Amino acid sequence: MSEHKATSSVKERSKVALNNDFLRNAVKFTTERLKNGKLAAAEEHGNWEEWRERGRQIRLHTIAHLDYYLARFVENARAQGVHVHFAADAADAVRLTMQIAEHKKAKSVVKSKSMVSEELHINHALEQLGVEAVETDLGEYIIQLAGETPSHIIIPAIHKNRYQIAELLSKEAGEELPPDTGILAGFVRRKLREKFLEADIGMTGCNFAIAETGSIVLFENEGNARMVSTVPKTQITFMGMERIIPTLDDLEVMATLLPRSATGQKLTVYMSVISGPQRQTDGDGPEEMHVIILDNGRSLQLGDPQFQELLNCIRCGACLNACPVYRHIGGHAYGGVYSGPIGAVLTPALNKNVAEWDDIANASSLCGACYEACPVKIPLHDMLVYLRRRKVERGSKDPLEQAGMSGFKFLMSNANRVKAFVKLGRIGQKMLVRDGHIKAKIGPLKGWNSYRYAPSLPKQTFRESWKDIEQGLAGTLPELSTDIKARMEQLMAQRTGGGKYHG
Amino acid sequence: MGKSDADFLQRLHEEALQKQEAFFGNIASRLGRERRLQTAPVRSIKGAPEFWEDVQLSVEQRVELFMSNWQKAGGHVQRLSRMSDVKQFIDNFIATTQARHLIIQDQDELAELRTALKASTDINLTVWNSGAASEGEKDELVAKAAGADIGIVAVEHAVAYTGSLVVTSDPARGRSVSLLPTTLIAVLPLSRLKTKLGEVLRPFDVLPLKERPAGIHFISGPSRSADIENDLTIGVHGPGVVYALIVDEI
Repeated sequence: MSEHKATSSVKERSKVALNNDFLRNAVKFTTERLKNGKLAAAEEHGNWEEWRERGRQIRLHTIAHLDYYLARFVENARAQGVHVHFAADAADAVRLTMQIAEHKKAKSVVKSKSMVSEELHINHALEQLGVEAVETDLGEYIIQLAGETPSHIIIPAIHKNRYQIAELLSKEAGEELPPDTGILAGFVRRKLREKFLEADIGMTGCNFAIAETGSIVLFENEGNARMVSTVPKTQITFMGMERIIPTLDDLEVMATLLPRSATGQKLTVYMSVISGPQRQTDGDGPEEMHVIILDNGRSLQLGDPQFQELLNCIRCGACLNACPVYRHIGGHAYGGVYSGPIGAVLTPALNKNVAEWDDIANASSLCGACYEACPVKIPLHDMLVYLRRRKVERGSKDPLEQAGMSGFKFLMSNANRVKAFVKLGRIGQKMLVRDGHIKAKIGPLKGWNSYRYAPSLPKQTFRESWKDIEQGLAGTLPELSTDIKARMEQLMAQRTGGGKYHG
Repeated sequence: MGKSDADFLQRLHEEALQKQEAFFGNIASRLGRERRLQTAPVRSIKGAPEFWEDVQLSVEQRVELFMSNWQKAGGHVQRLSRMSDVKQFIDNFIATTQARHLIIQDQDELAELRTALKASTDINLTVWNSGAASEGEKDELVAKAAGADIGIVAVEHAVAYTGSLVVTSDPARGRSVSLLPTTLIAVLPLSRLKTKLGEVLRPFDVLPLKERPAGIHFISGPSRSADIENDLTIGVHGPGVVYALIVDEI
């Protein structure tokens, strides 16, 4: 994914989002609705925790034996007449796709929504070959016309309002279309209907691949993924190598978790299980079917105790909707294909360049809402901490922060130094304290005092007041339980250096 | 263009076989194995949680739950006694909506209905059967489906818990018939209405490869999108009007 470069920081990118009132409202409105829908659906379903745990177990098991299950899938898919290919990275997948398109002398391609194809930038490559690539998911079609990228896994055009959409579609229609949702959608239906019928190749993503049946499974609401996999003569499916589950029996669990977590539906309007190309006497469906299995950084997570669970992700977007940071800054601020908490972890993981993307790991409050929301219980908040840690360990740190940290270490490792420093502070602050607060925006206090006041240092430290406090408390404290007391005394006995030094 | 040249596909296949070695070798080694795992790993759990297996609804509960879910999703539903009621319903629907172009699957369950519809001079009826169709005839069937006002199918299964109809593909059951027309009318024989998804999915696991249909489609309401300002739009690509006709006796 060499094309991905963090050209500006999340902070800068999020300013673009934060200044855009509509975006913030739209993102909030949508994610709120999705989140509430999810809560309602999860509650209605009952035993949500049990389903989650089951989903996690199935994903853990499959990923831990990915070599076996992926091989089974390949074997069964081939037995049904699927042409299976392997791509180590995005460039590889693009090359394969171009070979097929070229051989087919394809003029146009219709695509249903696929996050993997976003990783590949396949549209761009097709256009260079002179092949028209049309996104057919309503939201994706809109942002394709706008020349943008999706800002939400589930609702890609979340950042556009209907006036902006009407303007885009009017340009396409060659006439003025009113900003009425029904009319706009009607135009897209007619327009894309033609595209489906004339397309040479249909491209899909893959929500799940079933090892034991060699099938791919697509979840969608509009029917465009069905169109793409029914009408064109050739189908190319892009599949992340970790999309596998063992059996259709296991699909019941995923079908229970995914739509409820994504949109709050019991099931998406369409769930299609596609097992190979059309049979000889079938009247529709692709005559030729290719599945391109993509690694593109995924295998790097395998065997990594801290990040392997990342491969359990089923791309539902629940963590985005739950994330207080995503809800403020929107998807584009993350800068990668995947946004929100999952993007903050996945993007650096897939890109192998933690340092370059480190600031998106900081775009999180580590509140853990993402973990709570995740239908397969990926500990994203822990992973964000690991990422930050790796970033520091790899030495990509702010020199000022580094200096601060070593200063802090120097100071805190010696009790006398702390005492002396606090004493110095109490004298030094006299110039600045007003009504028990320090208001001056100077030195290290600048950032803090821009928004609030720092309290002044008290006249006496807790240690200094302890003698008085202890006397006042005499006899009122409950007696320490004997075994704890014994343990404390043992610890004291083991202590060296007179208790003035720690660690 | 139809299928690719055999030698082109063969070349890609050989390339894939070569890459496959490295691909699987990498996965196995990252998972701490010397070679790719060849035998099925032991699974302690599979499919839905245990408690779910015990959930079972009576026929009437299933009907009630299916109807409620289907309607909540924006679909229409009728419970009818027999196929003659279906015929009456469709006649009435055609008369009211002025539908002209219909397409119907060549399924046995719909035989009577087809005969009756064929007799009508007001409509243009296409019967989907690609069993002996040429390439051109297949294309023609898809085009007919795309231009149809109504597509009529009998479903293979239905799931009450998710409010889903299940259709599968074969020469007499085109995928296009439930997808391309503006309106979908689906006949659901009562005996095919199950409680849970797993009851429909599991049998496909054990079906021999050759007997598995290429397309298994779960349909849970009208085509919908919330992509424009989260405003619900019906019928974006698939049928916007969907009728499930539950028939007690077929």
